[in-house]
Amino acid sequence: MNTRKPVAGEQPAEGPLDVLIIDGEEAFAAACRRTLEHAGFRVATSGTAGQGLALAETRHPGVVLLALELPDMPGAEALGALSRQAPAAVPVVASAHGTVDAAVESMKLGAFDFLAKPVGAEKLVETVRRGLNLSVLRKEAAGPGAAGAQAPDKYDLLLQGLDVLGEAYSLGLEKRQLLDELTWLENEAKYHAESLGQIKKKERVILDIRNDLLESDVIMRRYDFHKNALIQVLLDVQEKFRWLPRHVLNWISGRLNIPVRDIYTIAHFYEAFSLEPRGRHIVQVCTGTACHVRGASELLTRISATLGVKPGETDARQAFTLETVHCIGCCALAPVVQIDSRYHRNPSKSQFEKIIQSLEKEEVDTCPA
Amino acid sequence: MSRIETPADLARLRDQAVARRNSRGTWVAVCAGTGCRAYGAEALAESLEKEVEKRGLGKKIGVRKTGCHGFCERGPLVVVQPSDVCYLGAQPKNVPAIVDKLEGKDAALDKLLYVDAENGKPLARLDEIPFYKHQQRVVLGDNVHIDASDILDYIAVGGYAALAKALSGMTPEEVLQEVKEAKLRGRGGGGFPAGRKWETTRKAPGEPKYVIVNADEGDPGAYMDRSILEGNPHGVLEGLILGAYAIGAGEGFIYVRQEYPLAREHAQKALDQAREYGLLGENILGSGFSFDVKIHRGAGAFVSGESSALMSAIEGHVGEPRPKYIHTSEKGVWGKPSCLNNVETWANVPHIINRGAEWFTGMGTEGSKGTKIFSLVGKVNNTGLVEVPMGITLRDIIFKIGGGVPGGKKFKAVQTGGPSGGVIPESMLDLPVDFDELTRVGSMMGSGGMIVMDENTCMVDTARYYMSFLAHESCGKCVPCREGTRQMLRILDRIVAGEGKEEDLAVLEELGDFMEDASLCALGQSAPFPVLSTLKYFRGEYEEHIREKRCRAGVCTPLIAYDIDQETCGKCGACLRACPVAAVDQSADKVFTILQEKCIKCGACFTACPEKFSAVIKVPAYAIGKPSAGNPPPAGKQV
Ligand SMILES: Cc1cc2nc3c(=O)[nH]c(=O)nc-3n(C[C@H](O)[C@H](O)[C@H](O)COP(=O)(O)O)c2cc1C
Repeated sequence: MNTRKPVAGEQPAEGPLDVLIIDGEEAFAAACRRTLEHAGFRVATSGTAGQGLALAETRHPGVVLLALELPDMPGAEALGALSRQAPAAVPVVASAHGTVDAAVESMKLGAFDFLAKPVGAEKLVETVRRGLNLSVLRKEAAGPGAAGAQAPDKYDLLLQGLDVLGEAYSLGLEKRQLLDELTWLENEAKYHAESLGQIKKKERVILDIRNDLLESDVIMRRYDFHKNALIQVLLDVQEKFRWLPRHVLNWISGRLNIPVRDIYTIAHFYEAFSLEPRGRHIVQVCTGTACHVRGASELLTRISATLGVKPGETDARQAFTLETVHCIGCCALAPVVQIDSRYHRNPSKSQFEKIIQSLEKEEVDTCPA
Repeated sequence: MSRIETPADLARLRDQAVARRNSRGTWVAVCAGTGCRAYGAEALAESLEKEVEKRGLGKKIGVRKTGCHGFCERGPLVVVQPSDVCYLGAQPKNVPAIVDKLEGKDAALDKLLYVDAENGKPLARLDEIPFYKHQQRVVLGDNVHIDASDILDYIAVGGYAALAKALSGMTPEEVLQEVKEAKLRGRGGGGFPAGRKWETTRKAPGEPKYVIVNADEGDPGAYMDRSILEGNPHGVLEGLILGAYAIGAGEGFIYVRQEYPLAREHAQKALDQAREYGLLGENILGSGFSFDVKIHRGAGAFVSGESSALMSAIEGHVGEPRPKYIHTSEKGVWGKPSCLNNVETWANVPHIINRGAEWFTGMGTEGSKGTKIFSLVGKVNNTGLVEVPMGITLRDIIFKIGGGVPGGKKFKAVQTGGPSGGVIPESMLDLPVDFDELTRVGSMMGSGGMIVMDENTCMVDTARYYMSFLAHESCGKCVPCREGTRQMLRILDRIVAGEGKEEDLAVLEELGDFMEDASLCALGQSAPFPVLSTLKYFRGEYEEHIREKRCRAGVCTPLIAYDIDQETCGKCGACLRACPVAAVDQSADKVFTILQEKCIKCGACFTACPEKFSAVIKVPAYAIGKPSAGNPPPAGKQV
């Protein structure tokens, strides 16, 4: 990643790119670029596949954000061309037709991820970051001088075979054996494409985990990997990930030489820790004594009914987690609910709905397009 | 800035700090404690700063974000110094008028002044407002004057003078002796004499020794420790350093609960600054005494505030208590002598060293000296933090300072001591507040939570509330507490659901006695108090729940139902709109009814129904469907 932040609106004229956006939809491309530049990446955009592919070849972007709908070439074709011309670039496909089929198809064709438009800013940055990690690995794997051609894998061979067979078929060489061959190859290709997709998925999960572990190392380093700092480490992990992922706990166990069992004992003992992922927004109804005598249970019942989740639960979209908390020290506002870092005094159903809606709107607003 | 090497350096620095403060004739202190922040105090302070700057008054008028002023009910709070004029509930839109006034112009600010409830006259000055007038603010006094994130502010108002005095002219024994003579008792709950505890740690064999600040503040409904640490962290730190000097400790901890991010931030800043100035670290003020402090965050467990549990948490283990055949003051953190005191206890120490034990013992009662801070909350007009001399009556606190119960409701009881305390009925309101008196009537001082309850508070529900808190917080290590709290909760759950049995009350008392005797730590030993004290003073309410299936306060949801009084209903539909589960039905001719099978009893309709109709009413659950069948008549809004 480059340290110099490009001035917004200016295309970096030369040098390697972190991200190349190939998309005919100007507003979307511009919005994505702003978001990504804001996150510190070097970004260029191109409105056509032709220009984009040329840029990809010369500027070695780590990640290419490719629209399926392009003015001069079908997206699938562009994806194929991209993997031939810039094999180290990690393609991420974006489409307004966010169907499962489109997604599966692009993954089969080698896309690293599929984003349905509109795309949330956080999601976009996170995907690009993961993609860049992979591209680093790819470049490492390719080694010096190996930047060019990648050995065609079995999957490519199969595709070529399919091509040849298809050609023969279209020439009218309608032989039974040829047909059988075709079906067999088709199945084989499908099978490999699927397992390739799965491998990619696993690859992504592994990368994510690796990142998490690196993060937790950073946290443990703050305390010199000291055993006694376990609770402090867990508090930082909780703050960072909003919960305590299992792989992180196992990792900490090994690093600090503490039995996993002891770590779980602590994680269960204290209120601050969550062993399940929490929502993007935390709704905390204070159930301190002052709030209790001023109607906190009614408030909790009301909010729980409005959100459709019970205390301690997160909604299906991972947007809101409802919790109770013993006294947040705002007794004058009793009964009070804290939503993220804001406090609200006894909101009625409609007031609460407004707050929730404005939070959801904020999320949408930060999405490009 | 340079390290302070000697008391003379400190005096010079103080002169500079005072000069810096005096360079501006007027200061506007905006309370930026957590409570006022919730009301938008930060935006207010910012807009004040901008306005002052805009009018070119930056050299004359300063804006200072301070810690909690205490009168949380009326935030955001603004105090103009030196005139001490107090603006309540100020909003950014009032800023131009406030600055006009500061410039000496006429400005209509009456709306922001406190209005005397009796004669309707505005009271401008802080010390005229009844809420402040009857207090004696020793520990909280500086909060209004200092920016907690600036050590120079603290030094300007006399901060670290006690430390300089002790390190340059007193032996550790003399410091200890002063605290002993002041008869300072621990403010964290038990009221154990601080001097005695210090002496035990001092004399205990083992090195190093530790001193620890307990800022875990687990009592739900109390926030004085947070406000002290947020508003005046150097005051606590100075006390801690003095204690360390007297005890001979080389290292200290501040154990602060993770739910208090601002307190932690300010404490951390205070440590950093003190270290920078040489007030922490090696050879403090050239005295040869060295001491440093770390912050440890608590991860949210009530029992972790108990001394042995807290120390176990500092070691990185589960914060569970251990049997205390040997006190933590002798064998605490890592088996070393460790002296733990509450935030407020430590914060008293610099004042004692500065002004002497005699001054301190001049306040309070025979057995309880000095002042105590209470968080006065619940059904009271002036919610806030109040610091009063020991010995003041509960009535004075609740009615003179707190302004009584809102909405013309009748006072029922006051709860002190948090989950380890009990309720005190109206007949005992003239009780002087002191450690021993409160214990004598079955409650306790506790850390200072004071929850006022009115006729709409159900005592059985209150007992159940504390028991559910304790059953949840019980660490489970000892059987009496783990099983006792659970069983008591089960019985109370039954009673509030209208399924109580006559013999339940005796079982509750028996269980309570047993837990008091047999539990491992004070959590279990005191867990029955909220139940036993409500049983003692409000047995009738328990019996009503059991025999008549009636909750007179209209709180216990299984025993009540909501209904709409068709005669007073204004057909406005507010209830229908407020209901989160569509349990309000509207017929073709605009008759609103509550569908009982859908109703979740959240009270939304009850709150939403306009005062002038008051048509949504609480009725006993058994009355629903047959309102005229000879059952007690439906109670109105004032159930
Ligand atoms: C269950 C339980 C919770 C406690 N929580 C706190 C607390 O949050 N803050 C506190 O200062 N003391 C708390 N205490 C009291 C401490 O054990 C200890 O007595 C106190 O911190 C000593 O300080 P003091 O002598 O200055 O009061 C608690 C005690 C028990 C049994």
